[in-house]
Amino acid sequence: MIRFLLTRIALLVVGLAVASILIFFTLRVLPGDVAQVIGGTQASPAQVAAIRTELGLDRPIWQQYGDWIGGLVRLDLGRSLITHTPVADELGQKLQVTLPLAGLSLLFGLVIGVPLGVVSALRHRKVSGFLLSGAAQAVAAVPVVFAGVLLIVVFALTLKALPTQGFPLDGWREPGRALQALILPALTIALVEGAVILRFTRSAALEALGQDYVRTAASKGMTTTRALITHGLPNVLLSVVSVIGIQIAGLIVGAVIVEALFQLPGVGRMLVSDVGNRDFTKVQSELLVLTALILVVGTAVDITHRLIDPRERERA
Amino acid sequence: MSTATTRRRRAPGAPDWLREVLRRPAGVIGVVIILGLLIVAAVSLFWTPQNPFDVDPFHQWQGPSAKHPFGTTGTGQDIFSYLFAGTRTTVAVAFLSSVVAAIVGLAFGALGSLTARRVRESIAVLIDILIAFPTLLIAIMLAAVFGSSLWTVVIAVGIGFGVNIARVSRGEIRRVARADYVVAAQASGSGPWRILREHLLPNIAPVFIVQLSLSAAVAVLAEAGLSFLGYGVSSATPSWGRMLSILQNYVTIYPATVVWPGLAITITVLGFNLFGDALREATDPRLRRSRRGAGDAGKEATRVS
Amino acid sequence: MRPTKYLVAGLAAATALALAACSGGGQSATTGGSSSGKANPNATLNVGLVLEPTDLNVRTTSGVALDQVLIDNVYQGLVGLDPSGKIVDVLAKSHTVSTDGLDYTFDLKSGVTFSDGTELTAQDVAWSINQVKSNPKYVGNLQLADVSSITATDDDTVDIKLSKPNAELLYNLAGRAGLVLEQGATNDLATSAIGTGPYKLTSWKQGDSITFERNSSYWGPKAKVAKVVWHYYTQQSAAVNAAVSGDLQVVTPVDPTLKSKLDNQNGFTLTTGASTDKYVLAFNSKKAPLNDIRVRKAIREAIDPKAVIAANGGAGVPLGGPIPKSDPGYEDLTSIDSYNPDDAKKLLKEAGKDKLTLTLTLPNIYGTATSDVLVSELGKVGITLKVNSVEFTTWLNQVFTNKNYDLSLVDHSEAHDFSSWATPGYYFNYDNPKVDELYAQALASTKPGEESQKLAQAAKLVSEDAPADWLYNWTPITAIKSGVKGFPTDGANSRINLADLEVTE
Repeated sequence: MIRFLLTRIALLVVGLAVASILIFFTLRVLPGDVAQVIGGTQASPAQVAAIRTELGLDRPIWQQYGDWIGGLVRLDLGRSLITHTPVADELGQKLQVTLPLAGLSLLFGLVIGVPLGVVSALRHRKVSGFLLSGAAQAVAAVPVVFAGVLLIVVFALTLKALPTQGFPLDGWREPGRALQALILPALTIALVEGAVILRFTRSAALEALGQDYVRTAASKGMTTTRALITHGLPNVLLSVVSVIGIQIAGLIVGAVIVEALFQLPGVGRMLVSDVGNRDFTKVQSELLVLTALILVVGTAVDITHRLIDPRERERA
Repeated sequence: MSTATTRRRRAPGAPDWLREVLRRPAGVIGVVIILGLLIVAAVSLFWTPQNPFDVDPFHQWQGPSAKHPFGTTGTGQDIFSYLFAGTRTTVAVAFLSSVVAAIVGLAFGALGSLTARRVRESIAVLIDILIAFPTLLIAIMLAAVFGSSLWTVVIAVGIGFGVNIARVSRGEIRRVARADYVVAAQASGSGPWRILREHLLPNIAPVFIVQLSLSAAVAVLAEAGLSFLGYGVSSATPSWGRMLSILQNYVTIYPATVVWPGLAITITVLGFNLFGDALREATDPRLRRSRRGAGDAGKEATRVS
Repeated sequence: MRPTKYLVAGLAAATALALAACSGGGQSATTGGSSSGKANPNATLNVGLVLEPTDLNVRTTSGVALDQVLIDNVYQGLVGLDPSGKIVDVLAKSHTVSTDGLDYTFDLKSGVTFSDGTELTAQDVAWSINQVKSNPKYVGNLQLADVSSITATDDDTVDIKLSKPNAELLYNLAGRAGLVLEQGATNDLATSAIGTGPYKLTSWKQGDSITFERNSSYWGPKAKVAKVVWHYYTQQSAAVNAAVSGDLQVVTPVDPTLKSKLDNQNGFTLTTGASTDKYVLAFNSKKAPLNDIRVRKAIREAIDPKAVIAANGGAGVPLGGPIPKSDPGYEDLTSIDSYNPDDAKKLLKEAGKDKLTLTLTLPNIYGTATSDVLVSELGKVGITLKVNSVEFTTWLNQVFTNKNYDLSLVDHSEAHDFSSWATPGYYFNYDNPKVDELYAQALASTKPGEESQKLAQAAKLVSEDAPADWLYNWTPITAIKSGVKGFPTDGANSRINLADLEVTE
């Protein structure tokens, strides 16, 4: 087990190194650069070249890479090429919107998905179960933009129960308003995520229902529900955990559409806008931090897997 | 073990699995929707009610009428004809994305499971990294380098979903590869290709096909999302996603219009998902058997995630 | 820019197309409805805008998004513009120009301080303008090309000498090139601002909002509101929703299709303002088949500007030439190559190009309404138009820098920007020595009215050469809630002077 942990951590470090190379050089393929963006349409080529020199963009590419990595080793994410402010500051600010959004979405998604998934599995031969999984299917099929717009129209514009779009100026210093601002966006994501979680839970629960130990327990007089909960749950949870592991990446960065629709100043929008501006020193650090986050979650999921799954444990 | 081999002989028979799919209401709905899509897409190549690209800004935002069943847009385009023609784009995106996802998924999945331990684990890490790269950013980068087009969407979604398939199927392939009958085959001197062809592919095929039908659904949704962000297919290609993102801005003024592209996408995605689910139930022996309430779940039982 | 929803609008468009821009011209705007309560000095005004600046550095970062909020309100120059576009003294008490047009003398107002309390001196002024003059990276540098020296002759006099007359000098000094910064300040220009204006910038939340507060040590009449918050919306409907639910008191521009929500609704009134935004469909005149003037004229004749305007919600007027109504040298040129698809077909046939395929490269921030109309209109005369919608940065690279395009569509929002047609290296790839000469004469003119006359001649020549189709001049709509007074609506997309702003209960 310790060996397993060490290997996983070593792989994590290697993974980050590979990711840094991948990110750095992929970005350099993009046409246009930040000097042109700063110069705009009235700048002469000489002006653009001068800006480029000042920003150090004319130095050899490996040297730029070295500088970046050197900074990272000292835990310095670098500075934006445009505003010259530390990347870490802005990333931290945007994460204050995106992390709660992702967390809240996941929470809503689990609250919707897991119980309904179990219920729909238990009733999979009944009409109610069929309708439930049918409804989940339909909800999972709604495009995020459409779902979000419908939620805005219903809850914000018609019922006036929640704010339409935007995030309070003072952020979390106004916790009530900040939370309110995140409810509809989180619900938009959660409708889709919840439906996905529901389906996974359902199929995991169905599988568990087919397992010997659950069937045996059921035949010994336990209700199917009880048998499933006492004996099948670890397997169901295992499945849900691995889904979350995969989904979390999508939750954080995939929130971009929801952030755009609800005008939230989050990580996804910032990333897209920084790529558009070719603010590479910023994009590369942001991407690497997110990759690290996702790799850590992935590692954690793997380890959890190992702990829960008896088959994997035997082999460890 | 014996179940695996019996199923291998049975599963590829097309009528068999199709019959199984069509035994389920979800399967019937899914098949009907997909067939409908294909028919409309094919017809739209030769005929649309009106020219979807004809603009008439002096007759913008018209309500539903015989001439314009869904009304017109701000440029006076006929929404019905535009969506009609957009079907072929949706079909193309769904189909091509699945093909790319299949190739990426199979390649990475196989490399990540059948190769030597070191290679295998490096690939696993690479897959994790690629998963961390959001599909959206891949699409934006592709669009920046090559310009926005159908292919930008297809390749981005193909890679994005492909690595997800790889991550799912990697475990699956390894599980199958460790099964007794494969170990036995290896011991009896079968080469890796033969094992792949005779044992692995047939056993992971159900998981794979189900994943592909899901990736078709994801592709249709991704196209809508990318259009919303301005990175969709080129504007010469009629697209549901673009129509949705244009019309959603005006939902407070012309609420009826946004419903049509929204519904078109929802129904299509639903079709692919229902089909995928029915297919999974039909091809997954354990699910099938548990339906019939008989038989022993084989060790190769799949947890489709 | 035509307001569109995309994310990138904020970043890319912000950097787009402008330096010291101001519409000038038009009417002074006092809109705001009927309520006649007392002015509330503690009021906060929330304004919904579209284009967020990429950063706040007025020296190095181009773009109207910066001018729109920072000039007049935070940064000021020796001179400025009144709502009708006339030059007025701001930090200067008075100014004189020698008869040969080579010597400008400015007397400074006394008692002017920067928002950090430091007193303004003539050295600050001379230093500021010298910085722009001597640093080719600074926005406005080229506008000072004819300036030979800027000196503070004493504590309250600044003297600017020119090597040759330049009729645009005062106009340029009223914009970026003439902004006065504090010589001794050490703040980071990219994220903060210290100026002499009636407001001080207190915070910038990137991707969201900029906050101003009253500069209580302002040298002139103090601002009548305590706080102004500029909120940036990339999604047009979001700004309108926010206005409807009471979070915003002003929205500019309003998407014309959504205007009915705020048209005498929810306490708002709408005003259509003037702008200098020119939607320019540029033809690459050096590239076949567009090097044939018949092809270029045919394209212009094939496009009905009214259809383009209608497709964009009606917020525009036909243009016909490179100079908009509020700039010097304007003349109605809409009769040149006016809409005539039959003649367009004839011209194409004459040129032997009756089956053509051309590519239009445009930034993806502009949405698809215009390009849809162009595809359809050109299709009717036998031109297949392929649309290549790219990121703004890619457009800058491919079209602006490398001039690799057939047709390009961009909103040129700057005022007084005729120079781009007299700059052969500009991306238009347009070169007419006669135009260059007329433009030089216009700049060198010292007699009143001469500049406009020469510019008008040059503009007509340009339009007749058909290096582009000027699709329309944007007329943005501003929604203002009752109780808000003194919010300018003309040129509000490029410069919003809030000196007279007042909010009543």
